[in-house]
Amino acid sequence: MAERQPTRDEDKREFAEEQASLFRITLAPLVWAIHFVVCYGLVAVTCAKEWDIVAVRTGLLIFSACALAGIGWVGFAAWKQWNVAETGDFVNRGGRAEDRHHFLGHAAFLLSVISVVGVVFVSLPLIMIGGCQ
Amino acid sequence: MTHPSGLPEPEGPYPPTDEMLAEPVPRDVQEAQARRLRAAWETPKGWRYITAVNNTEVGKWYCLTALVFMLLAGVMALIIRLQLAVPENDFVSADRFNQLFTMHGSAMMFLFAVPMFEAVSILLLPGMLGARDMPFPRLSAFGYWCFLIGGIFVIGSIFFDAAPRAGWFMYPPLATEDEGPGSDIWLLGLSFIEVASIAAAVELIVGTLKCRPPGMRVNLMPLYAWYVLVVGGMILFAFPPLIAGDFLFELERSFDWPFFDPTRGGDPMLWQHLFWIFGHPEVYIIFLPSIAIAAMVIPTVARRPIYGYSWIVLSAVGTGFLSFGLWVHHMFTTGLPSISLGFFSAASEAVVIPTGIQIFAFLATLMAGRVKMTLPMLWISGALAIFTMGGLTGVMLALAPFDFQAHDTYFIVAHLHYTLFGGMVFPVIAGVYYFFPFIQKRMMSERLGKWAFWLTFSGFNLCFLPMHLTGLWGMPRRVYTYPTGLGWDWLNLISTVGAFIIAAGFAAFVWDLIRPKHRQSQIPRNPWEAGTLEWTHDVPEESWGVRSIPHVTTRYPLWDQPDMQARIDAGRYYLPDAKEGKRETLVTSVIDAEPVQVQRVTGPTWITLWAAFFTGGAFIFPTFHWYPPAIVSGALAICCIIWWLWTATAQVPEADSKDAGLGLRLPTYAAGPASVGWWAMWITMLGDATAFASLVFGFFFYWTASPDFPPEGALHPDAGLVALAALGFAVTWSSTVGARWLNRRGQVGAARAGLILAPLAAAGAAAALVGSVMHLDPESHVYPAILWALAIWVAVHSGAGIIMQLYCLAGSLFGKLTPRYDADIWNVSLFWHFVTISALVTCAVVGLMPGAL
Repeated sequence: MAERQPTRDEDKREFAEEQASLFRITLAPLVWAIHFVVCYGLVAVTCAKEWDIVAVRTGLLIFSACALAGIGWVGFAAWKQWNVAETGDFVNRGGRAEDRHHFLGHAAFLLSVISVVGVVFVSLPLIMIGGCQ
Repeated sequence: MTHPSGLPEPEGPYPPTDEMLAEPVPRDVQEAQARRLRAAWETPKGWRYITAVNNTEVGKWYCLTALVFMLLAGVMALIIRLQLAVPENDFVSADRFNQLFTMHGSAMMFLFAVPMFEAVSILLLPGMLGARDMPFPRLSAFGYWCFLIGGIFVIGSIFFDAAPRAGWFMYPPLATEDEGPGSDIWLLGLSFIEVASIAAAVELIVGTLKCRPPGMRVNLMPLYAWYVLVVGGMILFAFPPLIAGDFLFELERSFDWPFFDPTRGGDPMLWQHLFWIFGHPEVYIIFLPSIAIAAMVIPTVARRPIYGYSWIVLSAVGTGFLSFGLWVHHMFTTGLPSISLGFFSAASEAVVIPTGIQIFAFLATLMAGRVKMTLPMLWISGALAIFTMGGLTGVMLALAPFDFQAHDTYFIVAHLHYTLFGGMVFPVIAGVYYFFPFIQKRMMSERLGKWAFWLTFSGFNLCFLPMHLTGLWGMPRRVYTYPTGLGWDWLNLISTVGAFIIAAGFAAFVWDLIRPKHRQSQIPRNPWEAGTLEWTHDVPEESWGVRSIPHVTTRYPLWDQPDMQARIDAGRYYLPDAKEGKRETLVTSVIDAEPVQVQRVTGPTWITLWAAFFTGGAFIFPTFHWYPPAIVSGALAICCIIWWLWTATAQVPEADSKDAGLGLRLPTYAAGPASVGWWAMWITMLGDATAFASLVFGFFFYWTASPDFPPEGALHPDAGLVALAALGFAVTWSSTVGARWLNRRGQVGAARAGLILAPLAAAGAAAALVGSVMHLDPESHVYPAILWALAIWVAVHSGAGIIMQLYCLAGSLFGKLTPRYDADIWNVSLFWHFVTISALVTCAVVGLMPGAL
């Protein structure tokens, strides 16, 4: 408890980017959600309107690769923000701005892992299921 | 850049040093402060008790009401089980049976499970966050009264043989064509309650983001608060599609607009989509906050911090997102293309991962700790066992080919009860045992609790385990009886016996809950030796919430900050006093919880009761097609709400800043993004935008699903009027935002002129939009009907927006809204940002789409 708390100005300078918001940790799942909606919506319209399902599948698979790359990028940034290799702190339960900064990185990193799994799962039907039957 | 309002910034040292905190407070000062706080937070006595708005009172009423509805729905389940105990039974008629199972499902979901989350959170969250109250106590009270009125109305219908009877998901055409008021009662009654749910979600999100104690950064929040945040967000995106669906459904029921009637271009599948976009996330809306209770109980019994805090946050947020990609797994047998089914099957399997992670985090915590087996832990263990079973059958059902076989059989009934009992009922009861000392300052009985647990647990398995087999052997859901000789007889009999054993367990639990406990000696303050802030509560009870708001730097402050309790009690922390005799709580920043404002919160009042009463009238009268009284009720409800806002919100303070303790001076007024009201508006409008998006989705759904939408030779909206409407909305938006801008710069006259022009333009624009579809006949085909629905949606929102603009104008004229104190117009501008976007989207859909499609 007795550990020194940094002053407000120090915090502000060092971790000013955090003023932004909590929304950053939802970026990776948001990419998952957009990918999901686009896959479902486009395939539904394609099947209903009898568009070219093969072209749409190929396009969506490329889109899936882009989504994965996007999440990978978010995840890498979050990994660096978590900075566990340097701090060795897996728990981030301290009361300093730095701990919060690392924690948000940790949470965002874990969420990008689960989002990668989600995108891969959702892309599987594009590979495994032939058409609109 | 925004012109500064001239309001003061926070001043003084922060964070407090140890020396500052160690300085003693003289005893006479302490006593005087406590006396003033006690007076400001006093709960009204006698028959005025029902005017209380304090979270502790409203939360208790909310919980008890939800419990009563649950017991009623439980009795219905017992009648259902009695009817099914033996083949060819005639204990109840087929029609009565339909009403019973419809009401059992609807009441358990809408009157128990979801409200219970709100109730428990309203009751507990301020304690966990060291806040005096929620930021909008009167909104909680209003939500509660709406829930009570709507709930009695819906559940009461069964006593008049008029209950809804088309199943709790109200599929058309069965539900749309059903005679009698049953379906209308379901639609209007539950829409009314959904509005209350959204109000509670707004309150809880703002409370979690803005009312944390100083120093409690996001990485230190109790896990319960994380779950509340996630679930609040889910409610905002899950409930509005159902509200939009209800809106279309009721238009079909009342005015014969054919949204779900395929003979006139409609499509019953649209209802299924809207219902399940709501319905599946709802399962997680029920599950997450209950498992959050486990996340509070488990560290306490394991006597160590939770293992994998970040992993649990991942799990909550991840589940929140993934749960929106599952809805079609309720519709696997509706003939969608198999590739579409594949997406939902895949997402349904993916959601298992975050759900599993949190359970492993709990198990790891228990394994790493020194577990003390308490009664709450017993219930949590039962919950984990049952929920895991339900989860495993869920993994099976997420596979479309298996679901084809098991769909609509008792296998589903077994699965959903395993998930809901394990995921909701057991953890919530664990929470009741765990938090009872916090809520009532008494303990519940260990002996009765064990009886209740073993009866419920064994009864539950006896009732629902055989149902897997009953289902696999082909017994469909929702049949009121069955012939003998299919091998189902003995399985059903066992299930019925099990159901009554569950009932005995509940009887023991409820008796323990309500039996008088006056003779009990005073309980210890922290009976479970927990580490989180709610256990700094006062025993015997004080209604001020917390004596002074602590500075928190750890996840388990009672374990890690040993001086905290004494300092809270001595009034050594923030807001130890109520000098002006007003109720106040601290508002802090979203990420780091730095103190930014002293927020005045509202006290006891009758107005919320009146507002809820008239709002109830506006929803209930249309059920019986009594439109004039409904309109009068609606108007009176609006008057009540305006009076409530005018007299109690965004009041000009007597001083711009005040001493918040520990040398910190904080502003007492905030406008725009710094204020809690603005956040509430933002969050509400996010939900509103989701509902609107659902309507637009409907438009495109019809286009996708049917080859002739718009139909050949259909009349189209008047393009000139649509363009005029778009122009009018642009004018009202710019005058509103312009008025805010001018007002801030002191040009009050020009701002008032803007506030006169804005409602005129809005009225003109709404009239032009409705005029553009006037010549179309909404009963003839779904195309004109959906255009009408969009136009009505925008017109009603414009109406609300006009009232708000006039409210600001009146505020400016009567000195409530000045260049310095301008919170109202910030909120109204924000409302108009959203309405303008939806209006322009509507104009684009109505005006341009017919040409484009």
